[in-house]
Formats: sequence, structure tokens, C-alpha cells
Amino acid sequence: MLSLDFLDDVRRMNKRQLYYQVLNFGMIVSSALMIWKGLMVVTGSESPIVVVLSGSMEPAFHRGDLLFLTNRVEDPIRVGEIVVFRIEGREIPIVHRVLKIHEKENGEIKFLTKGDNNSVDDRGPYKPGQHWLEKKDVVGRARGFVPYIGIVTILMNDYPKFKYAVLFLLGLFVLVHRE
Amino acid sequence: MAVRNGKNGLLEKWRIDEKPVKIDKWDGAAVKNSLDDAAKKVLLEKYGYAENFNLVDGRLLICTISCLFAIVALIWDFLHPFPESKPVLAICVISYFIMMGFLTLYTSYQEKNIFLVSVQKDPAGMDLNHTWQLSSSLKRFDDQYTLRVSLTDGKSKHTREQEITKSVGAFFDGNGTLVMDQFEKCVSKLHNTLATEKKTK
Repeated sequence: MLSLDFLDDVRRMNKRQLYYQVLNFGMIVSSALMIWKGLMVVTGSESPIVVVLSGSMEPAFHRGDLLFLTNRVEDPIRVGEIVVFRIEGREIPIVHRVLKIHEKENGEIKFLTKGDNNSVDDRGPYKPGQHWLEKKDVVGRARGFVPYIGIVTILMNDYPKFKYAVLFLLGLFVLVHRE
Repeated sequence: MAVRNGKNGLLEKWRIDEKPVKIDKWDGAAVKNSLDDAAKKVLLEKYGYAENFNLVDGRLLICTISCLFAIVALIWDFLHPFPESKPVLAICVISYFIMMGFLTLYTSYQEKNIFLVSVQKDPAGMDLNHTWQLSSSLKRFDDQYTLRVSLTDGKSKHTREQEITKSVGAFFDGNGTLVMDQFEKCVSKLHNTLATEKKTK
């Protein structure tokens, strides 16, 4: 067999210790998952942290900024406010400003958005035949942001092999290393 | 037949129980782990005690339950997309963190630093099993390793302890290989002190 010395610790483990190594890995993954789901519950948004992917909201938000969102039912959407929304059929959330609103008496609204740095409103990117967005398309409202940090996420998505390599190495390290 | 022998052969090549233990001498955690394992070996192999897994099983159970909560949350959220899954998610998240709290309490107060609970069966077969526990500590960046042996008498439920603190340099050579003979002597001495004390009392 190859001289894989770093596996020596693993080879000396009994069944319980091996199971604990796997559990350890599982607990790290679970902790991250629970923190994410916990944020979802607390903020009410299905994606509480998003990365700004384009420069369409400069100079307010730049590509690579990390945004913290909340999606409280009580927050009214008013013209001039920034919302993060998803277009039906697309999974990438978009951060733009509200331009026009039509509001019914019962509170239902239809609104139009436009990026600050764009020259036209968003009717182009909307679904064919769709002219307005509704409350159900809203992912949340930006409540805070951290600049630049999101660049890592953008890099990981642009170079998926890099992402898988990093995750694989991290996973291997956790599984092999004893506490 | 050949197939079965082949499988056993592979398993034998995988397990390296007899290879001398070599670790990075500057890695404190690895040093402590290898000393603990060696002490375990002495008690289980030389004295033939039977390991009691209840303590470790307790920890494994708590961790498994926590992971189950996480898995339930994941699957439920996948089947019933977000806003509807809110209550279930909230329950799972809170339960998960409560389990984490349990785990911390368990490892701090129940397990403490104990890494071996073993039973010395009475050869006469009467119900007088004595329990031997091993615990140890090694501070970060320190070289003083403390090994504590405790004997709980099966009949009187009385517990006696004996401990020894030595520099890890006494048991490892320059390359980081554990010198089993030295360490075994040390552990045996500790063990015999307690065993004879019992007899004289």
C-alpha cells in the first residue's frame, strides 16, 4: 500500500472512533446548516445573506458586497426603497430600487424596479408577459452590508473546480484529524 | 475461500496495531491522544480488562440525535419550501442548539477527562467487578502529562485514585516515536500501587 502516513491515526481507530470522526464532520456541516436555517427563520427571508453580483446599483452597492436581508411582513414597500427580489423561473436574486407602485385597497401591490446604474427599468429581464413584480417575488430588504467579502463567493461560483477542491480538502482534513 | 482470505488480508494491511506509534512531537493533541491510547492498551491487553463503552456511547448518541434534527430540517425544508416550513425549522434549530448545550455539559461534567472505563472481572465469577477508570490532562503548549488511575471497588463502591505527572519527553524519542516500554512501566506501576493498596486495606 502507498505510504499514506497521514492516515495512520485513522487506521488505528476502532469502530466507535471512526463513527465519531464521521459524526464530527456531520456536526460541523449541521452547525452551518442550522445557523443558516436559523437566520432564515429569524429574518423571515428565504435567503438571508446575498452577494451583489452586478454593478447595476453603483454607487450604493458594488459587485462583491455581502447584504443582510430581512423580510418582515409588516415592512411596507415604498417607492425609492431598495428591495431584493427573484424573477420567476430564475434563481439568482436581484438587488434594485422600486420605481413605481400600484396598490390595491386590500394591500396587494404591483411594483416596478430599476437598477440605479442602469439606463432602463427592469421590464426587459422580467418574465415574458410580466410587467410588474408582486410581494411574493420579494426575497427581502437590505438591512446591513459588508463590502468586498462576497468576492470569494463569486470566485467559487466562477471556478467550481476550485470550490470542490477546497471543500474536498476541508472534508478530508476533518475526517482524518483527531480532536 | 480465496476471496475471504483476500478480504481479511486487506483488512490486516489496513489495521496497524503493531506498528510503533509515530506522531508529530510538536502537536500537543496528537501527543496526548497517543499517550492515552497507549495507556488504554496497557490496561486492556496486559491486564485483560473489558472496556465499558457507556460513556462514549452517551456522547455518540447526543451527537447522532443532533445530526438527526439537522437532517429532518433539511428534508422538511426541501419538501415544503420556505415560508410553510418555518415552524418545523424553528423547532429543529432550537432543538439542535439545545442538544449542543447538552453535549457541552455532558463532556464537561460527565466525561470530564476520562478516556477509559474498564471492568476487572472477578475470576471467581462472583458479582464483585471492580471498575478501573483512566483520565488524563495535558495543558496546551505544556509538556507535563498527568495520568490519573481510579479504582472503584465492586463491593464497597469506594473509589481510590492515584496520579502521576511526567514530562512527555520521558516517553517519546527525538523522532516522535512512542517508547512503549517506558510508558508501560509507568502505567503498570500506577496500576499496581492501587491494586496492592486495595489488598492491604
